[in-house]
Order: sequence, then C-alpha cells, then structure tokens
Amino acid sequence: MDIVLQQLITGLGIAAVLLLVALGLAIIYGTMGVINLAHGEFVMLGAYGAWVLNAYFGLGLLASLPLVFLGVAILGWLVEKGVIRHLYERPLDTILATWGIGVMLQQIVRLTAGGELRYVQMPAALGHSTTILGVDVSAYRVFIFLTVVVLFAVTWLLMYRTTLGMKLRAIVQDRSIANCFGINSGRVFGLTFAYGAGLAGLAGALVAPLKSVSPEMGTGYVVDAFFVVVLGGVQSLFGTVGSAFLLGELTGVIAYIRNDTIAKALVLLAIVVLIRFRPQGLFAVRVRS
Amino acid sequence: MAAKPRSIRIGRAHIQVLVYVTVCIAVFLLPSFIDNDFLLNRIARYLVLSILAMALALSWGYAGILNLGQALSFGLGSYCMAMALKLRTVPVHTGAEGLPDFMVWNNIETLPLFWQPFYSLTFAIIAGLLVPALCAAVLGWFMFRGRITGVYVAIITLAALVVGNLLIIDQQPYTGGFNGITDLAQLELFGFEFDAYSSSTYYLVASGLSISLLTALAITRSKTGLILQAIRDQENRVRFFGYDVAAYQNFAFSVSAAIAGLAGMLYTVVMEFASPTFLGVPLSLAVVIWVAVGGRQSLLGAMLGAILVAGMQGALSESETFLDTWTLIMGAMFVLVVLFLPKGLAGLVDIVRDRIAGARGRPVDDEESAGDGAAAKTAGAAQ
Repeated sequence: MDIVLQQLITGLGIAAVLLLVALGLAIIYGTMGVINLAHGEFVMLGAYGAWVLNAYFGLGLLASLPLVFLGVAILGWLVEKGVIRHLYERPLDTILATWGIGVMLQQIVRLTAGGELRYVQMPAALGHSTTILGVDVSAYRVFIFLTVVVLFAVTWLLMYRTTLGMKLRAIVQDRSIANCFGINSGRVFGLTFAYGAGLAGLAGALVAPLKSVSPEMGTGYVVDAFFVVVLGGVQSLFGTVGSAFLLGELTGVIAYIRNDTIAKALVLLAIVVLIRFRPQGLFAVRVRS
Repeated sequence: MAAKPRSIRIGRAHIQVLVYVTVCIAVFLLPSFIDNDFLLNRIARYLVLSILAMALALSWGYAGILNLGQALSFGLGSYCMAMALKLRTVPVHTGAEGLPDFMVWNNIETLPLFWQPFYSLTFAIIAGLLVPALCAAVLGWFMFRGRITGVYVAIITLAALVVGNLLIIDQQPYTGGFNGITDLAQLELFGFEFDAYSSSTYYLVASGLSISLLTALAITRSKTGLILQAIRDQENRVRFFGYDVAAYQNFAFSVSAAIAGLAGMLYTVVMEFASPTFLGVPLSLAVVIWVAVGGRQSLLGAMLGAILVAGMQGALSESETFLDTWTLIMGAMFVLVVLFLPKGLAGLVDIVRDRIAGARGRPVDDEESAGDGAAAKTAGAAQ
C-alpha cells in the first residue's frame, strides 16, 4: 500500500512539472495552431533568468518569478511580431522557424552565460520535507504542485472570464469573422503568444532548483510537453491536465517496474498508438474547423 | 502557337534530366582534380549526407510527408553495414572466438541469433536497404491507413526515431550502446578494397549517389510521381478519383527510407564506425534544415543544401572565431529561409528564370509553374 501511495505521489510530482511546461504550449498550440519548438528554450531562458537575478542581483527565487514572467513574455511577443505572424498560413513551417529560433536562443545563452551547469537555490523556507499520508515529500514539490493549480486557475479564468479570452476564442472559431467584428486578431495573438511564453519562463524558473540549469535543458521538456498537449486534445485545457496526470503516473509506474529508458520508450509508443486512433486527443472538445 | 508551351515543357524536362546526369558525371570526375585523400574522404562524407537529404526531399517535397525521423532509416542502414564489417575484423580486435569486443565486455558468451546472418556481406547489404524500408512500410501502413497527415506524421516519426535511439543505447550488449560499433574491417566488394581514405571509397559513394539520384528522378518524373505531388497538394481530390492514397504515400515513404538506408551504409564505410548519434534527433532535424535551405521540391536542391550547410558547418567550426557563432548563423539562416524562401535556394532559380522570362515580355509562367504556385497555396491552407 505504501509503495502504491509513494508511486502515486512521485507520479503527481512528474505530472505537475509536465503540466507546468505544457500549459503555455497548450495555449499557443491550441488557439493559434502554432507548433512552438522554441518553447523549451523559453523554459530554459526562464531558468537562466532566475539564476541571473539570484546570482547578480541577490533576488530570491520567489521574488524573481514576476520579473522572469514579464521578461520571457516580452521576448515571446517580439518573436510573434517578428516571425510567427508571417507564418499563420503555413502551420507546418512554424515547426521549422521556431526550431531555428530555439537554436539561436540556445546558442546566445551559451555564448553569454557559458555552457557550464548553473545551480539555483531553493527558497530556504521550502527546503525541508513534509509528510503527506505517511509519505515523505519535499515541500518544494508541494509548492510547485500548488503553483500549478493556481496558474491553471488563472489561465482558465483568463480564457473564459475575460474580454481578451472571449476575443481569442472568437478568433479560434473564425478569424476573418472576428476581424469583421472589430477584434484586432494580430494584437490578441501577440498577447496570447506572450502569455504562453511567459508561462514557459515561469516553468523554467520553478524547475531550476530541482535540476541543474544548462543551455540544452529545454530540449527534453519541449518534447514531453508537446506529447502532453497532443494527447490531451488540442483545444482542451482540462484535457492537458488529464494527459499530464496520465503521462506522469505512467512514467512513474513503468520506471519503477523496469527502468527509465524503457519507460520513456513505452510511453512514446503508447502515444504513437493513441495519435493513430485518436488524432484529436483523448479529451478533445468539438470545435468548428 | 498552341503547340508552343508544350514544346517548352518537353524542353524543360530534357534540360532537367541533362542537368542531373551532368551532376552525376561531375561527381565522378572530381577526384581527378583532387590529390588529397583526406579531402576526398571529407567530400565523400558530404556526398553521403546529400543522399540522405535527397531521400527526405523525395518524401517531404514530393509526397508532403514531413518525416522528422529520417535518421532512423539512416542509422539502421549504418548499423547493418557496421555489424557485417565488425564480424570481418581480425579476431584480435573482436575478442574470444570472433565475438565482437563489446559483447565480450558485456559478458555475452555466444553471438546473438540476429547477428549470425551478418557473416554474409550480401545479406548485410540487402538488410541495409530492406530493414529501413520494411520498418518504414510498417510505420507507414500504420499511419497512412489511419489517414494521419501533416503535423501528426511529424510527431509520430519523431517519436519512432526517439524510441529507436533509446533502444539502441539501452541494449548495450547487442548494439554497443553509447559507443556504437567501432574498429571495423574494410569493406571488400568484388575483390576491391574500400579504404575510407582512398578514391575507391569515393567512387563507391559516387555510384551510390548516382544510382539513388537517378532512381528518385525517375520516380518523380513517372505517373506515380505526379500522383504523389497531387496527394501533397490535395489529398482528398486524389482519393475521390479512386486512387489508393495510403499506398502511394507508403511507397514514397518506404523508398525514401531505403535510400536513407543506403546512405547509412555508405556513411559507415566512409566514417569507419556506427554510432547512436547517426539516428539521433539532432541529425534528423539537421537533415530537415538542409532540405529546407536547398529546396524541398527539388532533389538536386536538397542535395546542394546538404553539401552547402554541412560543408559550411564543417569548414567554419574548424576556425576558432566561428566555432561558437556557427550555430547562431545557422539558426538565423534557417529562420530567414523559412520566412522568405519557402522553396529554398532551388526556388531562387525559378524566381530568376521567371524574371528573365518576364523581362523578355513573354508570359511569365506556363501552366506548370502557375499550377505549382496555386497548389502550394492550397497545400499550405490544407495543412
């Protein structure tokens, strides 16, 4: 029983990080149809942002979160205005262009901050571990879990309870009609992309204390996050939560039975099979195309 | 007058075949101007990579299948050749009783069953073509029968590549794991020895290149090639005409994999080892870049793209100043090409040709290229 519970909570930890990274991607891909392969690099930039603010300005991790969010969001906005904006007619090409952007960001960081591993300190107040249902869990993991819940709630409110969200949903339904009603779709897309990028930055800053920070760290995240989004169903925020939970638990369980490599391979195979039979994702909602 | 556009088109077809044959001949003539075995080996390496790029152009540019896992076929071919050459090394290098050294280190007692047939070089060469093709055929059957298109094809092929890569690294006792398969014997075919640093290997690569390029050209110029392009542009219309779309897609996908497998085999001969990086995600994405830069809808363009980008990378990363900035330049170049030259450098040729034609006051486009443009637009919208 203890092992099951332990596994469940380990899986939840993996799922929380997955969801954190995937949330921004889900918004960008789900609403704009842009496959943003630079997402991993936004995550990486967030982590470096936290490191720079910590090492040079003495800011604690929690204090640097808003700044990181803002910084990466502005960068995302610039990327949308400079490149993505021209590619809405050619969605497959966004894969290529954003990958190129990712390569550039990675190399810029490597040139300026150096290729060596960096470490970000955990907030002192969260360094201990607590006991939940008889299982030891690091307090920081719990903090990440709660943050993800809050971020998800904020995102949901933004999408379904604000004017911006309503405009965005109108554009997703039919862009030209939305334009006719006086919605500035270019501006809304710019803001959406910026918000998604900002979320990725936050994710990077939050996972920075768990793992070492390096220019290549984003690559692994983007692949996993992408699978979460595809599995969850492109336009469904709750689907993203469901698939993050599923993938997290699945990875945890298989890794426990076999090893990490086999776990990864099996999860990938499961996803391939799933895409084949349900390309719209597990939890898809019906939308007009 | 009505016959005139037709005669122009036939002329263009002849010119295309002529250009392709000339390129093949030029590739064969090159060693007579180069007296440096090291340089020749380097060039052979880029030529092999250009075959790989050409294979991707066949499936991506002509059939619209963006295969992000092209390196999987390449790697499988490479490993088939490496396994055969490993078994041919002198026993000193291969541990006790002719067992490959890494198996001895991993406490394997007897040669695994799937290694046995590789004692035969003929088997290995056939396997190097068929294993990638069959893997692709199975994956293709799985995808195309389910009418998976566009982005999802990219995701599935990428996932397949990652799975293949993970398995090869994980199964160290049978594949050499991270280190790959090293210390290989020299390839011997029809009594010739193919030393990697000699013109014989170069000619082997040149033959492989010519055969695969002309085969691919024949496919694209055939009726099948036309149907493939139609599927790329408007899949459903082709389906309504009664064509078996999945079968055509699978054909292009498998032939492309076989050519990539051939490139992989040649790469092992040129590099003298096989490594899991040959089926890594970075290489696979690099191939996509080469093809995008060179021109995805031109076999020759894709090859030139590979030689240009990979060659520039090789040359620039040797000098200290460019070692770090190279990747930056490549990323920027890539973004610019995607933004401004969706048809790659080969598209430049079309633009220049149309300009010249336009300057002469002739109708700028004949039917063919006008159709291309419109088709490209609808394809973009459909994706």
